[in-house]
Amino acid sequence: MSWVQVIFVLLALVAVGSALLVVTTRNMVHAALWLVVTLGAIAGVYLVLAAEFLAWVQVLIYVGAVVVLLLFALMLTKAPTGPQPDLDVARTVPAAVVAVLVGALLVATVVAGFSDVALDLEGTVVGSAQSTGATVFEKWVLPFEVLSVLLLAALIGAIVLSRGDEMVESAETTETARRGGR
Amino acid sequence: MGDSLPLWWPLVLACVLFAIGVYGVLVRRNAVLVLMGVELMLNAVNINLVAFDAYFRDVVHGGQTLALFVIVIAAAEIGLALAIVLRVFRTHGHIEVDALRELADRDEPPADAGADRLDDRAEADQPQEAR
Amino acid sequence: MSWVVLLLVALPFASAALSLFVGHRGEVAERGIAVGASAIGLGLAFVVAFPHLGDATPLGHVFARTSAAGPAIELSVYVDQLTAAMLLLAHTVAFLVQVYSLGYMAGDPRYPSYAALISIFTGAMTLVVVADDLWVLLVGWELMGMCSYFLISHHWELREARAGAVKAFLMTRTADLGLLFAIIVLGVRFDTYRISTIMGEIADGGFGRDELWLPALLVTAAVIGKSAQFPLHTWLPDAMPGPTPISALIHAATMVAAGVFLVARTFPLYLSAPAALTTLALVASLTMIISATYALFTNDLKRVLAWSTVSQLAYMFGALAVGAYAAGVLHLLAHGAFKALLFLAAGSVVHAVGTTSMSAMGGLREKLPDTFVTMTVGFGALAGVVPLVGFFTKDAVIGSVWDAARHGHLVWPWVAWVLFASTVLTAVLTVAYSLRAWLMVFLTAAPPLAAEPAVSEAAEPHEAPLSMKVPLYLLTVPTLLGGLVVVYPQAVFGDGEYHLVHPGLAVVMTLLVVATALAVAWQWRRSGGRDPWHPFVLPHPAVDRVYAVGVVRPVRWLARTVRAGDRDVIDRYADGAGAATRGLGWVLRQAQTGNVQTYLMVVVVGACAIAVAAGVAS
Repeated sequence: MSWVQVIFVLLALVAVGSALLVVTTRNMVHAALWLVVTLGAIAGVYLVLAAEFLAWVQVLIYVGAVVVLLLFALMLTKAPTGPQPDLDVARTVPAAVVAVLVGALLVATVVAGFSDVALDLEGTVVGSAQSTGATVFEKWVLPFEVLSVLLLAALIGAIVLSRGDEMVESAETTETARRGGR
Repeated sequence: MGDSLPLWWPLVLACVLFAIGVYGVLVRRNAVLVLMGVELMLNAVNINLVAFDAYFRDVVHGGQTLALFVIVIAAAEIGLALAIVLRVFRTHGHIEVDALRELADRDEPPADAGADRLDDRAEADQPQEAR
Repeated sequence: MSWVVLLLVALPFASAALSLFVGHRGEVAERGIAVGASAIGLGLAFVVAFPHLGDATPLGHVFARTSAAGPAIELSVYVDQLTAAMLLLAHTVAFLVQVYSLGYMAGDPRYPSYAALISIFTGAMTLVVVADDLWVLLVGWELMGMCSYFLISHHWELREARAGAVKAFLMTRTADLGLLFAIIVLGVRFDTYRISTIMGEIADGGFGRDELWLPALLVTAAVIGKSAQFPLHTWLPDAMPGPTPISALIHAATMVAAGVFLVARTFPLYLSAPAALTTLALVASLTMIISATYALFTNDLKRVLAWSTVSQLAYMFGALAVGAYAAGVLHLLAHGAFKALLFLAAGSVVHAVGTTSMSAMGGLREKLPDTFVTMTVGFGALAGVVPLVGFFTKDAVIGSVWDAARHGHLVWPWVAWVLFASTVLTAVLTVAYSLRAWLMVFLTAAPPLAAEPAVSEAAEPHEAPLSMKVPLYLLTVPTLLGGLVVVYPQAVFGDGEYHLVHPGLAVVMTLLVVATALAVAWQWRRSGGRDPWHPFVLPHPAVDRVYAVGVVRPVRWLARTVRAGDRDVIDRYADGAGAATRGLGWVLRQAQTGNVQTYLMVVVVGACAIAVAAGVAS
């Protein structure tokens, strides 16, 4: 076993373990935090697989923005802190069965297809910022631009969806305040 | 030996993470926790893409680039999804997905339709009326 | 001349169409059309009829013919003495009824349709009497039945009117099947539908006795229905809820007499089939007695006249049954005149008093003088008082039956004797019921006013308006003078041997009439000047009960069964299909729980299944 393989196995175990805790823990905030660990481990896996830029983007966006957004959502929906007994649906066994089924199916397919193939990480082109940037802006420009439009749409959509009563309420409160609270 | 990793190791990792993500989506009652399961699935897909990119030594780096795009889309998606979750929280007062059953197809409306709605918050879609 | 006949047929239908389009615009226009067209029709009838009475040669003309498989159906006319006489009768009474209706139906909102239907009826009657093609005759025959139905139910808000119209229609229609089959049989037998040809061939001889019994009996069945003879005699009294002028026109003078006309028209057929003559004689004998009895005891003035009509029609059939063509036809004409007179006068009484119940009438001699005079003449003719026309024609009928009984050879002697006894007995009964009606309506003291005098409906009965009085007086003319025709029948029928006057029998009958009248009058005096005999509620005619049990009930049961079958068997399938679909939908809908996670689970499992299947298949 080379060092690369050992590191990979360790990172994989961490990722799987913390993922399991994300979906089974009884504390919502803990789930978010375990998600951080999982995403971090995956960033490590990216590094092992010679995708440097992607690893940093993973940490920045996923760990930095997405998980924070999830925590904000937990806060705004008044999620109770502390262990909750009813975080799972009444019947968890069917879900577990389905998950195991999916996992088994995928693993079987993968192992059957690629069990004798090995990655040679020496000769790969490292996915540095420079090479990734060159690739994106030379070969993947159009999808990049479309993606920026998508982001804009998502932004507008999120604003519209979450505006709703808040603006109305604020208008009413200012109105009553102007009239002197009558 | 050299830096060689059997391809199926990252792929199996991806599959296991994906299965765990499926479990998370199907079993959690809180909508935010469900979204966490979705994030797990997206990351599993990303690992898959990166692994194959390393294997094929793609000149255009398709795998890594697509993984980048997936991250972007996931970020956009979670922004919108959480906006919806907040909306649901405003109208119903909770975000338990297994209690939101108004789209059930029944002869009469589901017995508890609207029971989980907040009383003083009418349809938030008509701001004009509230004015 | 033939185009005049065509015009005569077409004019009433045209005026009816015009009435229906224009009638509601203005009352004056409608009345003008109705009476005007009727007057023109009368004029045309005179033009057509008079040249063909007496010794004139009949007019025959074919306007069009079809060419189809089998004998041709032609639009052909044949005007002989019988036709001419019937034309005069029908158009005169129709015209007088139209004039009378101006007064009787004044203010009726349905007057346009009423007048139009009378026109259609007149056209249909004309079609029947001038038709030389059996199918054309049938068309006119059925049209008359249709008009009768509509006119009886003129006041269709009354239940009796609707019931009476349906009863009349059903009974006559059923009997008309006989005529339909007779036409088919005759057409097949003679390979033509032309009446004059068929009757000519039969009269020429060559047919064995009773060889043509089937068409003759079928025609007999049809006329029994149309002319209300036993056992189809009950529809005529039940048709009285119709307006009185209609009763006069259709159910006294013309439509019911069309049965007698048909027998006269197909007389050679009857003469060759004595079986039919026997049937006719026996039916007539029974009918005349039954109906006269009913007339004797009923309290409703119009029903008395209706039963009397049935009885007198039986007289006509009786005469024809023993071969007395002239007597039968003359009695038909005379009856048309005096029965129309009686009905119209009864209408005047009803118009004044407001009810047809004789026990509510009385003391009308002073209040309705013109009606009194004219109705007396009518009742006198009905009873056979000398020198009114009824005396002469009744005498002719009874005399011919007497001759046939003594030395006739058409029907068996016993049949003729039975018929003779019936006619004499009926003559007595006729006197009785006529006198009773006359006394109860006019000479009885007025009934005490039960309602308050202040109520306008209980106002003094008043005489009829001029439009109603003039037809009454006009009809008394043939009633008074018609006897001359009987004495001199060559004016109508042409040269020939006629035995219409029997002096000895006439004297005997007159004595009988006088004796009966005295008996009835004495009985009337004895009972205190009201109803001569105790009010006696006659049971409903038994045949009606037979029809109700034998025909009406099974049909209703069948209808109910069919409806239940449709509802419980066939509809069940349709409803079951719908219910099954709904049930299936309910079953499938159980999957739509509204729980998103359930849906996702199903999707994931489904995707896995597809993947497995794809992997296994490849």
